[in-house]
Amino acid sequence: MKLNIDGLLVYFPYDYIYPEQYSYMLELKRTLDAKGHGVLEMPSGTGKTISLLSLIVAYQKAFPLEVTKLIYCSRTVPEIEKVVEELRKLMEFYSKQTGESNNFLALALSSRKNLCIHPEVSALRFGKEVDGKCHSLTASYIRAQRHADPDQPVCRFYEEFDSVGRQVPLPAGIYNLDDLKDFGRRKGWCPYYLARYSILHANIVVYSYHYLLDPKIADLVSKELAKKSVVVFDEAHNIDNVCIDSMSVNITRRTLDRCQTNVDTLQNTIQNIKETDAVKLKQEYRRLVEGLKEANVARETDVYLANPVLPDEILQEAVPGTIRTAEHFVGFLRRFLEYLKSRLRVHHVVQESTPQFLKDIFDKVCIDRKPLRFCAERLQSLLRTLEIADIADFSAVTLISNFATLVSTYSQGFTIIIEPFEDRTPTIANPVLHFSCMDPSIAIKPVFQRFQSVIITSGTLSPLDIYPRILDFRPVTMASFTMTLARTCLCPLIVGRGNDQVALSSKFETREDFAVIRNYGNLLLEMSAVVPDGIVAFFTSYVYMENIVASWYEQGILENIQRNKLIFIETPDAAETSMALEKYQEACENGRGAILLSVARGKVSEGIDFVHHFGRAVIMFGVPYVYTQSRILKARLEYLRDQFQIRENDFLTFDAMRHAAQCVGRAIRGKTDYGLMIFADKRYARADKRGKLPRWIQEHINDGSLNLTVDEAVHLSKHFLRQMAQPFKQEDQLGLSLLTLEQLESEEMLQKIAQIAHQT
Amino acid sequence: MMDEEPERAKRWEGGYERTWEVLKEDESGSLKATVEEILFQSKRKRVIENYGKVRLGMMRHLYVVVDCSRSMDDHDLKPNRLTSTLKLMEAFVEEYFDQNPISQLGIITTKNKRAEKLTDLAGNPKKHTAALKKAVDTVCVGEPSLYNSLNLSIQTLKHMPGHTSREILIILSSLTTCDPANICELIKTLKSLKVRVSVIGLSAEVRVCTVLTRETGGSYHVILDESHFKELLMLHVRPPPVSSSSECSLIRMGFPQHIIASLTDQDAKPSFSMSQLDSNSSEAALTLGGYFCPQCHTKYTELPVECKVCGLTLVSAPHLARSFHHLFPLQAFTESPTEELQEDRFCQACQGELKDKSIFSCPSCGSAFCVECDFFIHDSLHCCPGCIHSQTAP
Repeated sequence: MKLNIDGLLVYFPYDYIYPEQYSYMLELKRTLDAKGHGVLEMPSGTGKTISLLSLIVAYQKAFPLEVTKLIYCSRTVPEIEKVVEELRKLMEFYSKQTGESNNFLALALSSRKNLCIHPEVSALRFGKEVDGKCHSLTASYIRAQRHADPDQPVCRFYEEFDSVGRQVPLPAGIYNLDDLKDFGRRKGWCPYYLARYSILHANIVVYSYHYLLDPKIADLVSKELAKKSVVVFDEAHNIDNVCIDSMSVNITRRTLDRCQTNVDTLQNTIQNIKETDAVKLKQEYRRLVEGLKEANVARETDVYLANPVLPDEILQEAVPGTIRTAEHFVGFLRRFLEYLKSRLRVHHVVQESTPQFLKDIFDKVCIDRKPLRFCAERLQSLLRTLEIADIADFSAVTLISNFATLVSTYSQGFTIIIEPFEDRTPTIANPVLHFSCMDPSIAIKPVFQRFQSVIITSGTLSPLDIYPRILDFRPVTMASFTMTLARTCLCPLIVGRGNDQVALSSKFETREDFAVIRNYGNLLLEMSAVVPDGIVAFFTSYVYMENIVASWYEQGILENIQRNKLIFIETPDAAETSMALEKYQEACENGRGAILLSVARGKVSEGIDFVHHFGRAVIMFGVPYVYTQSRILKARLEYLRDQFQIRENDFLTFDAMRHAAQCVGRAIRGKTDYGLMIFADKRYARADKRGKLPRWIQEHINDGSLNLTVDEAVHLSKHFLRQMAQPFKQEDQLGLSLLTLEQLESEEMLQKIAQIAHQT
Repeated sequence: MMDEEPERAKRWEGGYERTWEVLKEDESGSLKATVEEILFQSKRKRVIENYGKVRLGMMRHLYVVVDCSRSMDDHDLKPNRLTSTLKLMEAFVEEYFDQNPISQLGIITTKNKRAEKLTDLAGNPKKHTAALKKAVDTVCVGEPSLYNSLNLSIQTLKHMPGHTSREILIILSSLTTCDPANICELIKTLKSLKVRVSVIGLSAEVRVCTVLTRETGGSYHVILDESHFKELLMLHVRPPPVSSSSECSLIRMGFPQHIIASLTDQDAKPSFSMSQLDSNSSEAALTLGGYFCPQCHTKYTELPVECKVCGLTLVSAPHLARSFHHLFPLQAFTESPTEELQEDRFCQACQGELKDKSIFSCPSCGSAFCVECDFFIHDSLHCCPGCIHSQTAP
């Protein structure tokens, strides 16, 4: 259908539209008009992706000079592919309606592992291996060597792309990962480099967060993207953690050992080269004297994305003399390494700020701040000069040099924690140096500064106002949308007591309490008898789950549950978990019924959808607080309090509730779906917890279901499940939660729609 | 337990549970009107699914699978699920044979991962009701097995002639099933054998049943309460439309007369009925009269039956006539407000005064009826008294 969104003609590829989609597009349009950033929350399964795509594409077509590019960031490869498929549908609709052939170029970009078509390289199993092998075939000096020695192995796809592909732009169309591979095979071009090259002139790019947020990758891939782009972060409820992870470094003794061998190899290679080709080293030296001027020029023209690792000041300076020659630099690395080793030999926990660390390193081994800052850049240069083919081997030394640069660059927002052992095993020495970023805004700041509009959206972003605070930006729109429903298809219940009136809670004091564990078991047992097909149960941590399951086994509860349903357990091992998931789905499919015990913040809670019968109920045992004794977390909380005036408790609750919402949200993936959401902890009934759930869940929690016993919950569930099993057809939704164009344009409906968006 | 009691009491009013959502005050602020409206609607709520001109499977072979697993002990139907189900089943069996006189029915129970035949396919309601009465005392244990019960029914159903309709109705209380093999394979077999499987769930929607019914062309319903359960069960009384691909053929049938030799006739000799000979001899008695097969003169006391000797289907003409109405169902009456009626406001059938808000009139003869009579005419009479009256008295 064709919609009129605030004066903009939007083609929408479906015959029906949800009212909240319309409302969402209105808000989005406002954000784009204002050229600002937006935070939008809309429940999963209400067609967020297609609303985003159709509005932004329409905007691009209407104002080609205002918005030149859409950068759509998603989390996983399946999600990326889903977005591209939606886009394809939209474009087909466009060409059918307008009759013109499509002149849009949209493509997905992923790692080499997903795009490589080289017969040998693509057969490798791990991403790192593929990257390393690819590099060893396509690096510039390898190709240069080949001129002298034609027998060197080479990637013919890359060669072909390099000689022909760069001149011919990728024809307009929609390219998913497989389409790119097909195209590459047909032409004999490398799809990965083709995609990387083509994103510069593509209208729409779909890729992973990391290509924009992780400074190491962003520098390679995204730095030349145009300023007038719209950036969308989908499923962005965890974006702060992604930012922090991309800037944090963990160093163990093993890293240092591997680094030592790396440095030795470097030393040997330098020795060899010195004997054979001394000129090369001299050239490098001269280049370094010139400084990083080249990079500087590029930045001034405002084409590049600022790299948070390397601040502007550095680029204006030349590499300091102390590390300019190769031998000196290797010696420098050795000193730095020895220093780190000595720091890891501690017997008690040390926490210090970056200036403290720098002072200490200067006192002990006389390393100045300045050469440290150039460490990463200098290492890159050296590796290039030495023509080392397999970069993957040098990951340890790269990590250390990145650490050196980061630690000397930022005086704020980071902390260094050295732990001699893990908290759980105080007798086993396993020293770790955490260089931890506490401020997610550091990594994302260049994105906000650079791009015209950044949209952060997800099904669970409540409370909305916290994201702008921790990411340090000013949004022009913040809105939360509810799900309009023709029938109440979600049923959140807060179970606060067992049948024997024992308060249910996962809080630390009652964690080991037998009565609580028994009542939790009882809840699961009773639910397994009334809920059909699949139940997903989430625990707060692996340790807690192990304890409870062991206790249930002793009490014979597991045996009773197994009469009703099979039990599967998520483990930290990915292969085991995917096996369990597969069997779980099979059991749901053939009527045996199954329970999946998993962990909040685990793989299952984040990435796996349990549509329809795969998840008829989600039980959340306890409130998934993060492990509060962790020193990294404590440091971060302190930082948040000092810098952003966010109280520790607020942040912890916010973090726990967004994970709880993520977990229970797994069950409802659309309006025809239905599911129970059981919060088994009395603390959920408190206003401060409940108020932080997304609005679309909150509004279905009535006062009657705040502090239920197990029996009452079972009774309500039975009733709910019977109601939901009654026939439900599309006609029932029409006019209420599903609209045709005529219905949408009626005055009454437009008024209703205006109420859907909840502005904050 | 204290808080259990009020919960239990509410269930009595199952049918009205959600009514507050539709309640609206009228001008005087009273709720009475809406409550009456709801009552009226629930009366009126009848399944007028007009199949149009389709072929119906008049000769039905139906296996009813009754779940007797642990979950049947649940007390949400009074006194428990099993007793309630069996009672409704008795009514269903009666109704089934009343509406489908030339059809057969068998009952299978499943518990403890096994399936057992309670009664074989037969056309006699008495035997089934007796078996159902006896089954009340069954102990409900273990899990049901969908696979085994379907397999057991197939064993018999697959030998039924192609022109008959093969059906299985499952009353499933449990949410789990314990199967010895992959049920998807069995569903394919069912599909190829053109067995229609319908399910009535007593607790919630189970995925495998959705697939099973969708693939085999049956229906899947989940009950809300006891009255809804009854309604759903009665839906299965009506013969289902057959798929166009099923065979059709002419069937030889015998229409034996009931002959009673008068006691005065000296030649008359009391004799056994063939069907009684098979079953327990305790019921067998020598009788003078009966139905004699027109082909081989075997005697039967009850119809319909398949002759044990020559295999001829024996029915009585009224039986056939009774199934006739399915083919030409009575048209639904049109509803109109009572005020529009010009003539005297009396129901043409019961002669009672028309007090309700709306009346129902036959589209062909225009006679007006009250809602109760409309109900009765469509459910039991299957013909409009007004039309009959005008036909016979010109």
